This record gives sequence, structure tokens and C-alpha cells, in this order.
Amino acid sequence: MARMKFICDAERCIECNGCVTACKSEHEVPWGVNRRRLVTVNDGKPGERSISVACMHCNDAPCMAVCPVDCFYKTEEGIVLHDKDLCIGCGYCFYACPFGAPQFPQAGAFGLRGKMDKCTFCAGGPEEDNSEAERTKYGRNRLAEGKLPACAEMCSTKALLAGDGDVIMSIYKQRVQRRGKGDEIWGWAMAYNRNDAKPQAAGAKT
Amino acid sequence: MKSKPVVAAIAAVIFAVGLSACSEVNQTAKTEKVYAGKKDERAYDNKLFGNDKQKWETAMAQRSRTQNEYLRTDKK
Repeated sequence: MARMKFICDAERCIECNGCVTACKSEHEVPWGVNRRRLVTVNDGKPGERSISVACMHCNDAPCMAVCPVDCFYKTEEGIVLHDKDLCIGCGYCFYACPFGAPQFPQAGAFGLRGKMDKCTFCAGGPEEDNSEAERTKYGRNRLAEGKLPACAEMCSTKALLAGDGDVIMSIYKQRVQRRGKGDEIWGWAMAYNRNDAKPQAAGAKT
Repeated sequence: MKSKPVVAAIAAVIFAVGLSACSEVNQTAKTEKVYAGKKDERAYDNKLFGNDKQKWETAMAQRSRTQNEYLRTDKK
């Protein structure tokens, strides 16, 4: 198996916040913490796009690199998880993460930070699978039940895809080809917006 | 006449040094980070999958493919 990944299709996302709600509901995430959230660019203008953002379970995760107590680990499937019993709530991971994934619940007066909380890809944490301890600290372990993350399974337009990177990549590529795009949308020229990129396929949207 | 080998040697050195600039430097930070927390169980190490990794992977791949609605619509 490849690595577990998320892909959000900005062409399909309708900013319904279903993924955010599903995540909060599934894991009973405390007030003030959002493991997943929506980011909208050009809000209210033509060409507005939204994407759903959470922990991207990086291959070379910066949160793991900066953690002073080494509470992060990576599963066989490439899911980045952490041990809340070790976390000291220092916030280094929050500053290191380019996606703002680590969240900190308020643990007392004057903004006292609690232990870090983030998307677990619905894989729980270092406690017995589907135990009360795991559910309380990390939320439900859907992967151990053979299910995908709740956010992706709840997504009504299937904008948010989750699962084996190779599988969801093939799904996304098929969609893109259905939209009339071809091989020209992959690679260096597309990424860096070069004008001398290959011509678009006939009937392709701009 | 004697200067030819010297020039050739200098040219070879410059060529070698120049080529070394083309090598790719590993940009990944070399950190000696070791996870210090509790050991986690594998997702398939439970009653449902009986520690059968293949069974779990097959189930997950199948579930992932259900996200592709073209598999349903194209059958019609």
C-alpha cells in the first residue's frame, strides 16, 4: 500500500462545511478546536474556490522535526500521529506546520494551552484500538474498522478524497480528464504557469 | 611542449570541480529524532481483520474506490 493521503478538488468543493462538521461530530472535538477547516480564495468574486484543509500527513513532517519531546510518530501508512501523554503544549509544531493543522484547546484561564490536537486521519492514537482512552484523547479509530476518514466519506460532492494515495490519485486524474484536460495539466509547466505549456485538449475548460 | 600536460591537468581539475556543482545535495534535515511515546497498534491488528494486513489493505482500497462515482454512473 502507498501512503494515506487527502486530495481536495477545488472544482467540486461547494464550501458546505460538511467535512468540518463531520470531523467535529465524529471525534467530539472540543470547543475552539477545528481539526479541519475550509479555506476560500477570491471569496464572493467570480472564480471563487474553496478547499478543505487539515493535517496533510507530510512525508517529511516539520512538526515531527521540531517537537522537543519527540511525541510524534508515523504509522506504516504514512499517517502522522502523536502521543498526547507526552505533549507539553509548547506550540512549536503549530509554528512549524505550513497548514496550521495543530490546534490547542484552552486548558484554563488566561489562554492557557492544552495538549495539541490535530487530524488523525481517523486513525486514533497510541492507545488500545477503539478503547475509551483512545476515543477520549484522539477520537474514533475508523481505520481500524476498515473505514475512511469521516470528512471524506461525508463529502456530498466527493470533492474531498481520502485513502491510498495511488487510488485517490487515479480517481482525481480520471475526473480531470473528464473535464477535457489532458496530460498538459501535469508537470513542471503547469506548476509554474509557463505560457509555452502544451496546448490544451479540444473542448477543455480554461 | 612541456606545458601541454600541465594545461591538460589543470583543465581536468577545473572540469572535475565544475561537474561537482551538478551533484544534488540532500536537503532533508538529518535529525536523530526517535519517537518517545507509547507504541501504537496496527490498524489491522484487531478482531475484525485478525492481523491480516492484506485483508485490511484490500478493504481500504475497495472503500477508497467507492469515492469514484464514475464507476457507478458508467455502468448505466
